[in-house]
Amino acid sequence: MFFRKKKEQQIETAIQQRAADQSYWANVKRQFWKNRVAVWSLRVFYVILFIAIFADFLSNERPLVCKLDGKLLFPVLKQYTVSAGLSSWDEKFVTTPWHEHHYEFAVWPPIPYSSTTIDKKNRNFTSPFNKQEVKSWRWHHLLGTDELGRDVAAGMIHGTRIAISVGVIAMTIASVIGILLGSLAGYFGDDNLQMSRIRLILNLLGLVLGFFYAFVARAYALGAGAEESGFMVPFLISLGIFTAIMVAANLLASVLKQVPGLSSRVNIAADILVMRLIEVFNSIPGLLLILSIVALTKPSIINVMIIIGFISWTSIARFIRAELLRIRNLEYIEAAQAMGFSEARIIFRHAIPNALTPVLITIAFGIASAILTEAFLSFLGIGVAAEEVTWGSLLNLARTKFQAWWLAIFPGTAIFITVTIFNLIGEGLTDALDPRLKQ
Amino acid sequence: MFKYILQRLIIFLPTLLAVSLVAFALSKLAPGDPVELLLKGQASESGQKASVQAYEEVARRLGLDLPVFYGALSTAAYPDTLYKIVKKSERQNLDKLISQYGNWPQISGYYLALKQLEANTQNIVADSASYLAKNTVSRQVKELLLNHKDGKITYALAEIQKIMPDSGVITQLKPLTNQLNAGYNKIKAEATPHKNYIPDIKWYGFKNQYHRWITNFFKGNFGYSYLDSRPVGSKIWDALRWTLIINFISIILAYLIAIPIGVSTAVKKDTPYDRIVTTLLFILYSLPSFWIGTLLIVFFTTPEYSPFLDWFPTGGVTDLPESTPFFTRALDIMHHLVLPVFCVTYGSFAFISRQMRGGMLTVVRQDYIRTAKAKGLEEKTIVWKHAFRNSLFPVITLFAYIFPAAIAGAVTIEVIYSIPGMGKLAVDSIIARDWPVVFTILMFAAILTMIGNLAADLLYALADPRVSYSKK
Repeated sequence: MFFRKKKEQQIETAIQQRAADQSYWANVKRQFWKNRVAVWSLRVFYVILFIAIFADFLSNERPLVCKLDGKLLFPVLKQYTVSAGLSSWDEKFVTTPWHEHHYEFAVWPPIPYSSTTIDKKNRNFTSPFNKQEVKSWRWHHLLGTDELGRDVAAGMIHGTRIAISVGVIAMTIASVIGILLGSLAGYFGDDNLQMSRIRLILNLLGLVLGFFYAFVARAYALGAGAEESGFMVPFLISLGIFTAIMVAANLLASVLKQVPGLSSRVNIAADILVMRLIEVFNSIPGLLLILSIVALTKPSIINVMIIIGFISWTSIARFIRAELLRIRNLEYIEAAQAMGFSEARIIFRHAIPNALTPVLITIAFGIASAILTEAFLSFLGIGVAAEEVTWGSLLNLARTKFQAWWLAIFPGTAIFITVTIFNLIGEGLTDALDPRLKQ
Repeated sequence: MFKYILQRLIIFLPTLLAVSLVAFALSKLAPGDPVELLLKGQASESGQKASVQAYEEVARRLGLDLPVFYGALSTAAYPDTLYKIVKKSERQNLDKLISQYGNWPQISGYYLALKQLEANTQNIVADSASYLAKNTVSRQVKELLLNHKDGKITYALAEIQKIMPDSGVITQLKPLTNQLNAGYNKIKAEATPHKNYIPDIKWYGFKNQYHRWITNFFKGNFGYSYLDSRPVGSKIWDALRWTLIINFISIILAYLIAIPIGVSTAVKKDTPYDRIVTTLLFILYSLPSFWIGTLLIVFFTTPEYSPFLDWFPTGGVTDLPESTPFFTRALDIMHHLVLPVFCVTYGSFAFISRQMRGGMLTVVRQDYIRTAKAKGLEEKTIVWKHAFRNSLFPVITLFAYIFPAAIAGAVTIEVIYSIPGMGKLAVDSIIARDWPVVFTILMFAAILTMIGNLAADLLYALADPRVSYSKK
């Protein structure tokens, strides 16, 4: 994950050199399908995605379907309504563990444990091959247990969900930032982005005022006030205030633009600004920075995802910029401009959709690297709540007990396979994008 | 070219500034009080008064009695002298009171009365009758200093009031407690929360914590660790030695193995040998080093699985004391470093091999190689004399990319094998919130990354005359 810069340069030049090709997307698809390894990686990815999405149905301490006291219940499904606050469990389910009820019949998930279920009888690292104290083979801990007696297989499935969501959420954030800034730089270049002076001034003012009213004046609500009610709601209100002030500033600018004298236009060197920003971000030692930010915030996997996203947008921005530099000179963009479409419409409806393919490459590599970063953070025990089970935290347990080889092998293999298939998909896309790069 | 270097160097400044601001902001947002962290090392319960003095002295030495930054965007309710209250927990509590009521004059009156009460309570020589009362009062005063919620404050005030009438010496505090009660009622009665919605820009000048910190950094004075009060510079130097040793060995090893493998796979392109080696290299490249590190330490450092696999020590750099003869000690260190060096090496080795193979393949396709073949030169001469030399230089320039990456990558391995290097120091300091060390490491890592990137780009231009940075 550290040597990607070199590769990026190669791909970037390739994008610039490539001539416009009409059936480009179809061509990329055909090339990709020729690459058997990449196609198989994609299939493995579908399997992993399936596990991540249906994790609750694959490993759960609750039965999928059961009949208790003459009533038919669907506890796994009901859990969703309970965690949404729509219903609640009966008293007996809260006080007695799920495994200990006397069901008339029950269909259990393939792995009848949740990642947090503690099996007291099989504490202290029970090996998968040793004799376990379980009712029958159905309750055997297939991949062993950890010190507390939590099932490793269940932890692996829960970890799949976390790994995939880290990759997806971090890269979604990175893509939004990267595509916005990159297309701004690529489409407008250094001398095509102009706005009226009053709009520039009002926007700057809006930034300051928005920051003040959203965050400074609400410091109490966001800090001490959030201790009981949770941080998310006040934070969203703050964001809303900020957006409202920015919108108001721009509306005001649209009105005041009519006033003579305020409408003179200023040029904004978008390309230089964005490229400098990218250079600044690239010089920041990412891992150390993530470590120090994550160590401060309350341990939560969401924070880790957000921070990784905010740090890894630069390569996406560079790719989009390179693509848009090429696209903005094409005839269809000129035609759209001649027809009087707004700049926003041209960028979002016409330019960006044609520039997205190479971004897929960075996203594939980016997901691999985000998963690796998260695994490493939870391996160090930083940034993830202690009771949260992830691949990295499972692997970390192996360091506390050398006898527990199953904790060293299985989570590591999962990390390795996931990272590798995303790398392979990325390579496949790179080759499909430009066969000349194939070495 | 010169202009390009200058341009890049100018970028250094805002980047360093950005990193320093982020690090500084993090250190300020971090929960916990650095002064208390420092004092914990020399905790001596020699009376409360002494501890207050010690606190203020340490705070002054760390420069914590200065304003935080050059200026601030804050609310009109916020006074510009709040930084003078050095005790962090009390300052934060006042901050919350201001956010609630927005009337600093009243709050400051209340706070002064509270401090006065605290001091007077301590000065009272309690007899047996008032001993309990004194304790209650000083405990409640402490509560008051740290609480901002109405319920808790009212409760504490009521407790103090309750203890007053029948407690001998304590009754002489009566006027003060009355003043305190009046002060708190005044805060509530004359609240001006609307002031919290009026923006106000304050300017503190150059005598501030950030300025002090950053100027000292560029003067080479990195401050002292909060944990053990050692100079940060010497702490980092001790750690850097190990990281450098490991990385130099591993980079040299990586190049020594990678270059022949890269060349041979390129020469035998599309043979089974090439396919197998290339696949292996790809797998090596994708193997997360913290996994391999864990596997090796689990299987090869204990007799757990088989007495024949207990090959290496479990962690650290050496078990021998400083006094052992140099040679024995060096051998022991080598023994300790085998696994860590392997873990650091294999990733960059795989990467360099792949690049070497790619470089060779592009060169082999060139016309002059075909010419050399046509005129009947020996295969060996063509490969090593004509092709190899031309494809070697770009691979060497990779060094500049690898070096900063290696420093960052060392975090993993050093933590797993508990090697007292930069990476472990960084992680430990981050967890312990030892900000002077974290700040310095972050800055150095940024400088190193930037120099590495610049060197890589320049070497690249040197290696390939078609790349030019002077145009445009």
